[in-house]
Amino acid sequence: MKKNLYIIGAALLTFFVSGCEKEFLDKQPTQYLTPEQIAEAAKTDPGLLNGQIAGLYSTMYNTGTGGTTGHDDFGQKGYDIYSDMLASDMALAGTNYGWYTGVARYQASSDYTLNAVYMPWRYYYRVIYAANNVIDALGGTDAVQTEPLQRHIMGQAKAMRGYAYFYLTQFYSAGYGTGQEKILPIYTDSKQPNQPKSTTEEVYNLMIDDLTEAVDYLVDFNRLTKDQVDATVAKGLLSYALAARGTTEDLNRVVALTNEVINGSAYRITNENELYGKIVDGVLVNPESGFNNVATPSWMWGVDLTLANRLNLVSWWGQVDYYTYSYAWAGDPKTMDRNLQNSIGAKDLRRKQFHSTGRPLYKFFDPARKIGGQRQVTTDYVYMRIEEMILMNAEAKARLGDDAGAKEMLKKLMVERIEEDGYEAYETYLSGLNGQALKDEIFLQTRIELWGEGKAYLALKRNKQSVTRGANHLFFAGDTFSWDSDEMTFPIPQAEVLNNPVLND
Amino acid sequence: MKKSLLFSLFFVLIMALPAWAQQSRTVNGKVTDQATGQGLPGVAVLVKGTTVGTATAADGAYTISVPGDNSTLVFRYIGYTTQEIPVGSSGTVNATLSVDEKTLSEVVVVGYSTSTQQSFTGTAKVVSGERLESKNVANVSQALAGEVAGVRVINTSGQPGTAATIRIRGLGSVNGNRDPLYVVDGVPFSGSINSINPADIETTTVLKDAAATAIYGARGANGVVVITTKTGRGKKAYIEVDANTGTNAALLPRYSTIKSPEQYIALGWEALYNQAVATGKTDPVGIANSTLFSAKGISPGYNMWNVANGGELIDPMTRSVRPGVTRKYDPENWEDYGFQNSSRNEANVKFGGSSGKTNYYSSVGYLNDVGYLINSDYQRLSARLNINQEINKWLTSAFNINYARSETNNNGQSSDSGSIFWFVDNIPSIYPLYQRDAEGNIITDPIFGGGRFDYGDRTGFSRGFGGLTNAISDATHNIQRHNRNELNGNVSLNVNIMDGLVLENRFGGQFYHNKFVSRGNKYYGGSASQNGSLFLQRTEMFSYNMLNMLRFNKAFGSHSIEVLAAHEATDWSSNILNASGYSLVDPNILDLNNTIVKNPSSGYTNSWSLESYFSQVNYDLDKKYFLSATIRRDGSSRFVKDKWGTFGSVGAAWVISNEDFMADQSIFSNLKYKVSYGLIGDQAGLGYFPGYDLWNVDNLNDKPAFSMQTNGNPDLTWETSKMFQTGFEFGLGNYLTGSIDYYVKNTDDLIFSRRVGPSRGIALINVNDGNLQNKGLEFDLTGNVFQGKDYRLSLGVNGEIFTNQITKMPIDPATSAEKIVDVQGLYAWSKGHSIFDFYMREWAGVDPLDGRGMWTVHYVDANGNGAFDSGEQIASLTNYMAENPNENILVGTTKVWSQATQKYVGKSAIPDVRGAFNLNAGYKGFDLSTQVLYSFGGYAYDGAYAGLMGNGLVGNNNWHTDILGRWQQEGDVTDVPRLSNNQDPNVNSTSTRFLTKANYLVLNNVRLSYTLPSSFVSKYGVGGLSVWVSGDNLWINTARDGFNPSTSEAGSSSTYRYSPLSTFTAGVRVKL
Repeated sequence: MKKNLYIIGAALLTFFVSGCEKEFLDKQPTQYLTPEQIAEAAKTDPGLLNGQIAGLYSTMYNTGTGGTTGHDDFGQKGYDIYSDMLASDMALAGTNYGWYTGVARYQASSDYTLNAVYMPWRYYYRVIYAANNVIDALGGTDAVQTEPLQRHIMGQAKAMRGYAYFYLTQFYSAGYGTGQEKILPIYTDSKQPNQPKSTTEEVYNLMIDDLTEAVDYLVDFNRLTKDQVDATVAKGLLSYALAARGTTEDLNRVVALTNEVINGSAYRITNENELYGKIVDGVLVNPESGFNNVATPSWMWGVDLTLANRLNLVSWWGQVDYYTYSYAWAGDPKTMDRNLQNSIGAKDLRRKQFHSTGRPLYKFFDPARKIGGQRQVTTDYVYMRIEEMILMNAEAKARLGDDAGAKEMLKKLMVERIEEDGYEAYETYLSGLNGQALKDEIFLQTRIELWGEGKAYLALKRNKQSVTRGANHLFFAGDTFSWDSDEMTFPIPQAEVLNNPVLND
Repeated sequence: MKKSLLFSLFFVLIMALPAWAQQSRTVNGKVTDQATGQGLPGVAVLVKGTTVGTATAADGAYTISVPGDNSTLVFRYIGYTTQEIPVGSSGTVNATLSVDEKTLSEVVVVGYSTSTQQSFTGTAKVVSGERLESKNVANVSQALAGEVAGVRVINTSGQPGTAATIRIRGLGSVNGNRDPLYVVDGVPFSGSINSINPADIETTTVLKDAAATAIYGARGANGVVVITTKTGRGKKAYIEVDANTGTNAALLPRYSTIKSPEQYIALGWEALYNQAVATGKTDPVGIANSTLFSAKGISPGYNMWNVANGGELIDPMTRSVRPGVTRKYDPENWEDYGFQNSSRNEANVKFGGSSGKTNYYSSVGYLNDVGYLINSDYQRLSARLNINQEINKWLTSAFNINYARSETNNNGQSSDSGSIFWFVDNIPSIYPLYQRDAEGNIITDPIFGGGRFDYGDRTGFSRGFGGLTNAISDATHNIQRHNRNELNGNVSLNVNIMDGLVLENRFGGQFYHNKFVSRGNKYYGGSASQNGSLFLQRTEMFSYNMLNMLRFNKAFGSHSIEVLAAHEATDWSSNILNASGYSLVDPNILDLNNTIVKNPSSGYTNSWSLESYFSQVNYDLDKKYFLSATIRRDGSSRFVKDKWGTFGSVGAAWVISNEDFMADQSIFSNLKYKVSYGLIGDQAGLGYFPGYDLWNVDNLNDKPAFSMQTNGNPDLTWETSKMFQTGFEFGLGNYLTGSIDYYVKNTDDLIFSRRVGPSRGIALINVNDGNLQNKGLEFDLTGNVFQGKDYRLSLGVNGEIFTNQITKMPIDPATSAEKIVDVQGLYAWSKGHSIFDFYMREWAGVDPLDGRGMWTVHYVDANGNGAFDSGEQIASLTNYMAENPNENILVGTTKVWSQATQKYVGKSAIPDVRGAFNLNAGYKGFDLSTQVLYSFGGYAYDGAYAGLMGNGLVGNNNWHTDILGRWQQEGDVTDVPRLSNNQDPNVNSTSTRFLTKANYLVLNNVRLSYTLPSSFVSKYGVGGLSVWVSGDNLWINTARDGFNPSTSEAGSSSTYRYSPLSTFTAGVRVKL
């Protein structure tokens, strides 16, 4: 019996010993990290606190942020392609694999079930949610920040929130209208449940307030890298929002803001060597060309992509660049609209950015220039450059009736773009343009200068222009689409309509 | 912890019980196993006609007090024949028990103990190892097909060595886990089921109801598959060798597609012509002629005819290739190069036996299973050692260890342009596999020799289908390989504290290391521009399970009781390391130093743990009345705040045929009624860390960037199933045996991925909300048609009939009401519907006037013109009707797919009945067995067929031969719309057009074997010799060739699916 007691004792002991530790059921992830893990690590490494704001910027180029596994789901530059195709300046010249067919055929403009409709919605609201997370941590959208570090974080978060609402208004509403159209739900903190649609006026007020505050908060923010939003970028974003609303007061602000950027920053216009690739005996002689390097002096906002960013086929370069292992190479080329290409002046250097087929072979390329070559993308993304400010300044002046001022500003760019022996002729031509003709010229130069950079659609909408598709479009060649036609706007996606029960309240 | 202490006290009390019953005289003795001479522990020793009883100790010894000399002792032990021995005046009564071959087969390993079929209160179906071995599959999951009513085995891929998906009793969860738990030799199993050689399996038991599975609380909700490996217990030393060899083939039919290039090109021309007509062009023939071979049509390089253009090729009157047109070459049929007849070879050597206080079983097995897809195979070397040892009177131990080393090659199966299946079914037949020169001759490959594969990458050869890729070339020259070493086993040490009370300790461990390598070759395909690439992934999994259990067994008189209480802890972790690089030096070295440029590496660990306390009481009275009760408490690491859940069950069985009043009847040889109710849980299915918000750790300029990955819900907790079951088991004379079970399973607090409007910033949130009900009836009947000395024939049928219904939807916080409908692709979830009720647009046929497709639209006639106008459509009918109950809704048709109304179409993927037929016949040494799987009722979405009925740009995709019935001219009445070169882009978008009856019959297994008479083979010193031939998966009947609804849970087809292998084998088994 004594032995039995020992055994019982041992048995009870094993019962106690196994799995009594409280931590046994506490498992933490390592593939991704929880906010709690990051906060804990930040106690001894405060630099990590900037990681969340940096996450807003990595969202801009990460894949799958539109909530799909589509090869067109890679953040801002993906929607730049959408908008370039809606504006028709970018023609889809093949459909072997069929990406972008729904956009190029304007199916996405009427079919709310398509992923193309869902992805931008999901992406921009994802940015808003993440920005709201940061804003919540700083005390909420109305909390006033005085400490520099907090001010800079809040400024960037609000700028990114404003950026996201701006693009939503562009894709999902026709234009500013009366301001009373209900267009989008607004969220200003990350805990809010689904909200009903707000009016255009409310959405514009929110994003203009956000961007105005960002300009103010970031005034003394010296960013480390061009992927961050600083006061200059915030001014650029604010100019876009104001120009889209377009009241006289707004346009005056656009002129003032863009003047500040043009005169008050170190950015300069892309020069000829940076503008297009020069090939001598099959060799690229000006490696500073290609629109592939964030260090380019004209770039205000962009990101330096490296192997660490793990981008390959699913990227802007994987869709557009013939010299990347890309769909552009694999039978779905993206080319310049034939009409637009034909409208580039004979002495215009930008003519040399494009192959006769309309492929942008000398504007955008991987520096190695091996056909289908670049597999892991290390060429960079451009989000904003100084030329946009110049063109928007000229445009705002023209819209305000200041034709002379507009021409002066436009010349700043055109003198760099027209070959010397043709510039005089261009000046003469320009001097004869006034009123709508001048606005049309500025619009045309905006389209040519910024082809493939996602800006033409914004210009088309704010200038209330229309576009006629050139003969090289696979779909609707020769048809004309106006800025306020159904084709130019996406419907609210099915996932929102079905799953937001208060959308139309 | 307090709880387990209470349990221990409880035991101490119970142990005191026998002392009070002691009486005048003591008898002792020893019970031994006839075969081995070993003592048998745990044998019930009863004084007949009294309530006095005891159980033997580890060495088989017992002591019992008997009332008088004329007492009789009854020795009863599961799996052995019961013996009765009069005591007389002797003080020592020894008994020798022999294995009862008849009852042995009735032993059921259930939960943490064993039972017999008769005494078990739950529902457990035992499938013998022999039965499983008769099928030529790599693992037990596939072999279970058709064996158990209510168990569905879905062979999702023909890739050799693929584990099947198993569903037990309907669909238990919405978004949570639906997989059953595997338990191997008592240890919950987290390794790969492939590592267990089916030849080593003694029995497999499927536990279905709460009484059976509640003891596995945390993970029992979707059923439990209990695998017991072989032992040498009670056997003389033996060696058994079996070997078989056979062939794998693609025997099941594929979709009937257009194979003639002339037929294809004519359809393409017609599509261009129709498009030109539809867009109002004046010269449609001219446009079709000039476009056919052009940048907007088929790339001119692929003009395989001796003609210059479309006009010379096609006669516009007949819309077919002009007579007399000749070919430059015959393009290859890709199927001939992508598929092969391949071999399957298997050999197993098994040793077993028992001697003294030790018994052992060991085996070595080898399998080489080559698939019909090129470069798809599975090779496995496995070894097992099982040892049971009685160390001394109070200590026994067991040691099981299993090792498997495998290599899997699975080329050509990705869900993209790398899929050979996609190519074979979908490539237009005009495109050749090999490049051709201007004269049509095959261009030689300078590197690998033979023909040079065509990637559609030459100037003038832009292949409209799969441009720049060639899945057959990639599968031939690239490598996709898994090498896995896997070790699993357990050690147990049982301490016999005193008569009937045993402390069992078991440590089970599972480990594997998997090395995955993907090499893209230097010369062709996706990695050529990088001069070859290498991706390596190492996965190391380790899981352990610790069990400490007190078990008490006592029999007194006609009562017997078993009580157990235990603590169990499971810890699982898997570490993954990825590294890759490109620009290879040696084309074939698969190590990273062979790459010049390295990509960033990555790695992480996933983990979870479970801790449980449980107790069970089993009681029986007089072998007529059985009661069982279980309680279990589990804690899971997957939940952040609310980790613990409590589960349990009660079950009862009444063996009516053992009642005295049944003694005189001869109809029922066996009749048992059983009923059970219980709560079982589940916690898996949503990844490892569903409670936390997860952020990506991105590198932005070498600084951290945390972007949102997924949102977690810290309040997430257990999903609980409440299962009620009742049923009968019966035998009618010697003619019919069977069982019928009825169950109702209500799953509450469903783990539900509730969709939210994505403007919220998130698209899904995982919540515990909503209820789901599964109800079902299962039957399993076997009729012995005749049985004589030399011949026998039996027929069996099993099946299940079940319904599935959402009884409550989750609350939407935006409205504080139940969500009306959650659309999930092909299905929608809403109250009163099953999770597999189709919700989609309804096909309304083809307009005979213009040949365009039409769909049903429900609309509100806002402008009152009595017809449908754009903008009046209702997008989603269920939502609309809930929000606008009084609206007058009209029904019309539209030719714009996106305007059509999504709605419940009255069809479901759940069948009326499904199961299997089994036939066994024998004559002398010959045995023939056949198994046919069936499913009737229900629909499935045939997406692969939809892909073949599209209307893409010419040259973009092949067609099913059904396209020949297309609309061609005004007045044609058909269900296939016009071809129009993608002018009507949505003709094959999701709609009821592709809902297909999911009925199937599959000839799953046929086996003919012959066992030589033992009188003959024993002359040569051989214990047994048998030979057989068998075939697996030989024939299928479905609504459409190529459509195989048995390969996915909801029956849907996929153009990328590796349709199951058909296998023929012949084998021999020798036992020495």
